[in-house]
Amino acid sequence: MGPLLYTGAISYETSLWLAFPIGLMFGFVLEKAGFGDSRNLTSIFYFRDMRVLRVMFSALVTAMIGLIALSYAGLFDYSVLVEESLMKSYFWPQLVGGVIFGLGFVIGGYCPGTAIVGAASGKIDSIVFLLGMVVGIWVFAFGWPIWGWFYKSSDIGRITLWQYFGTSRDAMALAILVMALCAFVLAKLGEKWAPYDK
Amino acid sequence: MFTLKEWRRLQVIPSDHAKLFIFQVRQKREPMNNMDYAKGYWNPYVAGIALGLVLTFTFYVMGTGLGASGAIARTAAVAAHNVSPEAIEKQAYFKEFYREGADHPFVDWTVIEVVGVFLGGLISVLLSKRFSVVVGKGPTAGVGLRLFMAFFGGIIAGVGTRFAMGCTSGQALSGGATMVVGSWVFMMAVFAAAFGAAYFVRKEWS
Repeated sequence: MGPLLYTGAISYETSLWLAFPIGLMFGFVLEKAGFGDSRNLTSIFYFRDMRVLRVMFSALVTAMIGLIALSYAGLFDYSVLVEESLMKSYFWPQLVGGVIFGLGFVIGGYCPGTAIVGAASGKIDSIVFLLGMVVGIWVFAFGWPIWGWFYKSSDIGRITLWQYFGTSRDAMALAILVMALCAFVLAKLGEKWAPYDK
Repeated sequence: MFTLKEWRRLQVIPSDHAKLFIFQVRQKREPMNNMDYAKGYWNPYVAGIALGLVLTFTFYVMGTGLGASGAIARTAAVAAHNVSPEAIEKQAYFKEFYREGADHPFVDWTVIEVVGVFLGGLISVLLSKRFSVVVGKGPTAGVGLRLFMAFFGGIIAGVGTRFAMGCTSGQALSGGATMVVGSWVFMMAVFAAAFGAAYFVRKEWS
């Protein structure tokens, strides 16, 4: 019964050993998806190639349905997620952090995980991006007197979309699935539109 | 810093130069529609489903998802700690990585996972014979501009990950799949900001 770490099936030490093969698979798939190259990552923002949207939403939906399926099969205790292991939400910091991160993404050309894969592929820009990120984290840490109060503010707790909208988990998942399918159709239209390449 | 000669040499990386030349020659015939760099990868839906299965397995084992930016935050902490251990152990933000009796900041699930990500990416890139030392950028953008923007964008992204407490992997993907409210807020904000700002940096990518 999963999650193995929370139900006591494996120890914390074992989970550290498992981090490595999980990372190997993660990195392998990211590279195969084309995410080791900043051009593949940013072309979504110019409607040239909506690969990022397709990969991300199909991964998100696969895992979302996968976990629900595992819980119906009796292999996964979903309530552990909801009550213990899900990340907590902080509304304003995550909204503002998302805007800042989005700017960094389109300017820098990578996000953290894909920059690691970019570095493994020999991309000089990804190594420079990673160095920039380290500097950015220093900026954040040493600017604490200015914005420390904002970090972890507006704590709304461990909350899911279906709890927030007052619906059931499975109805919410279905809505997200439909949304993802619509996004796949829109992606195709976006590529035909290609406003930057006329 | 670099001497002028070294800087010029840095700007002309042989393999990059060859690719640029190919791009420019072909560009005359079909502007911007040539995306050789985007070929040879998996179908995006196949890659997405594979990534989703890795993520499902991670939740099955750990109860939490994948991550990346946490490892870079810890790297930043360790690098600063090498310079001034006592100041960093007391520093308002970095002290959370140096609690009393805690392991070294690198003895951490995400750090070990990210070492795997690097090697997994390397295995894939070598098997597909894709390894090449280049600067990824739009065909007509300058190398100097691109590297400056990579560094500048990295700084901004680094700050963003700390406020959001995660990045595309930890928040958008893992939190998205488990329908966490804050993660969806983050994801929407990321894409809105990036699509909005794309116009202003279009020269970098075209």
